[in-house]
Amino acid sequence: MTNTSRRGFFKTFLSAGAALAATGAGGQASRAEAAVKGEIVGVCLFVPSLGKASDFVELMNNNARGDWTVQPLTGSLSDHYFQTKALYEDARGKANTFVGVVDPATFAVVHEAIVDCCGSFHYISYEDSNRVTFSAQL
Amino acid sequence: MSSFIALPKGVTEEAFAKAIKEYRALLGEDRVRTDPASLQSYMKIMIPETAELHKPSAAMYPRTVQEIQAIVAIANKYKTPLWTVSTGKNMGYGSAAPATRGQIVLDLKTMKKIIHVDEELGYCLVEPGVTYYDLQQYFKKHKMNLWVDVPAPSSMASPVGNTMDRGVGYTPYGEHFLFSCGMELVLANGDVIRTGTGGVQNSTSWQSYKWGYGPYVDGIFTQSNFGILTKLGVWLMKGPPPGGYMPFLMKFPKVDMLADIIKTFMPLRLANIIPNACVVVNAGWEAAGHFTYDKNGKGTNRQDFYKGKGSLPPKVFQQIMDKYSVGAWNFYAALYGSPEQVALNWKYVSGAFKAKFGKDVEIITEKEAKDDPIFEYRKQLMMGGSTLQEFGLYNWRGGGGSMWFAPVAAARPSECDKQMRLATEILNKYGFDYVSEFIVGWRDMHHIIDLLYDRNQPDEMDKAYKCFDELLKVFTKNGWGTYRTNTAFMEKVSHSYGPDMRRIHYTLKKALDPNNILAPGKSGIDLNVPL
Repeated sequence: MTNTSRRGFFKTFLSAGAALAATGAGGQASRAEAAVKGEIVGVCLFVPSLGKASDFVELMNNNARGDWTVQPLTGSLSDHYFQTKALYEDARGKANTFVGVVDPATFAVVHEAIVDCCGSFHYISYEDSNRVTFSAQL
Repeated sequence: MSSFIALPKGVTEEAFAKAIKEYRALLGEDRVRTDPASLQSYMKIMIPETAELHKPSAAMYPRTVQEIQAIVAIANKYKTPLWTVSTGKNMGYGSAAPATRGQIVLDLKTMKKIIHVDEELGYCLVEPGVTYYDLQQYFKKHKMNLWVDVPAPSSMASPVGNTMDRGVGYTPYGEHFLFSCGMELVLANGDVIRTGTGGVQNSTSWQSYKWGYGPYVDGIFTQSNFGILTKLGVWLMKGPPPGGYMPFLMKFPKVDMLADIIKTFMPLRLANIIPNACVVVNAGWEAAGHFTYDKNGKGTNRQDFYKGKGSLPPKVFQQIMDKYSVGAWNFYAALYGSPEQVALNWKYVSGAFKAKFGKDVEIITEKEAKDDPIFEYRKQLMMGGSTLQEFGLYNWRGGGGSMWFAPVAAARPSECDKQMRLATEILNKYGFDYVSEFIVGWRDMHHIIDLLYDRNQPDEMDKAYKCFDELLKVFTKNGWGTYRTNTAFMEKVSHSYGPDMRRIHYTLKKALDPNNILAPGKSGIDLNVPL
């Protein structure tokens, strides 16, 4: 799954989101406007159908080096919702970057979970029709 | 350049800035947000319009009725429109985004009190931010044998929001507005009213007697913009005794069996042998449930079966049905009562279907279903449980586009069959699939069709809009009203109910909200738009 275009995507988008989060810039970033990276302490959510944990760790560290924890969302969509809420709440105060790579159904509930924790987003992007990436503010 | 991401129509930047200053004096900086990041979550729409058309100017988070009264006073002073949401989960109907650009989202998720739960009579009184899940947890914590009827997004939606939009669920209490009892509302002039018997001092029956005295007004506050609801009474079911709940599924192999299915169950429904808002689900909807549930961890979706353009050919639909073992139609219902009642009623139900369909019906109860996740999701819905499985639909086509087209049919076999055929024909013409369920009401069917499309493809956006428009026109021409719609089509649906109904809606709006500050555009009611 770590083909060139995907790597390019991560490099452009995720590192932008991560850098924005680390520098506290925020806002509606959709491109790599942020040039200065801070120290990233990040959480990356993913659904196992889109790849393995080791892939995501590699991707994150290659493109936005930092202290990354990858978290698979497993079980039902209800589980995804409650897992995300718990992870997002837990990340507050511990991490500075909260990103994810998920399918559209999972994104529908992950988005609401973060909003229900009074969270907001740096960006949301459909990499393709079945793969959504996002970076949420912490 | 404006310092706000959007402004309400007709309000200058200077006036808006003054209004925000007053709102902040009232609520504080944190509870009045105008920064882009805070507002982005309100712009996640699934309808085929650009988010720019629905961009809010601000979001506010009141905690009390008194704060809302003060907010409407400021809104009247500066003519800043307020788009009220409870938890903002109206996905496929516009989500939490305002109908028109520049409105301030009045987000009531911060009002989260479960004010009272009465176990003896089975009712509750809740604030707008309380979710169905919150109520379920409350029952559990207090060891109460109560069920609340839920819509599909039960884990995160609220009884207030869903009832105010006249949503439906799946237990015998499925018609949510019917099973609500007593409202508290803040009107545009700041008055607080309590409906039903709520106006009687020290009323003891606000949540047990719906009608009060004189004209019954609760209905005019649903699907409307005449007031801001701050408390709602909801009737709750008593959970049946052990062995007194029996969910079941019947699978049918052919699309053209729909009329006979309805002909078989409607007498049972009308006799209350099947007492719940049961559902007849098509193959697409049923299969989509499996798209997040591949036990091998592999994601599956429509693309795995068909890479061509346009709607799925029937043979591909058949392949999907075969792979997931789903019927062309899948009828989910349940029996409730004592174990003896359930056993007796099951004889009537299974007997009627076996007599009509013989080997063409596959009957699944909990015993046969075992750990099937889709059966479990339906089982949960029909007992007021917690699930979000319906959102598996969003993996059908991907791309984040979804609109519910929701016409009502009289529960007659030929009428439902005709709706199904017409809808399929129109959807297929635009390259979309027919993905639907019929929710069976007391004498009607809510024919819920999910128009799923890719929001990232401009041509699909365009086609989706045109397809919905044609569905609306053709169904209206056939005499079928739409029970609920998304913010892109509210005005058009409003027109489909005729000029006299629009006129009375506008008359009420002028009387109750002459400054047009409450949710302009909701259900097509906007004093800035001519009749």
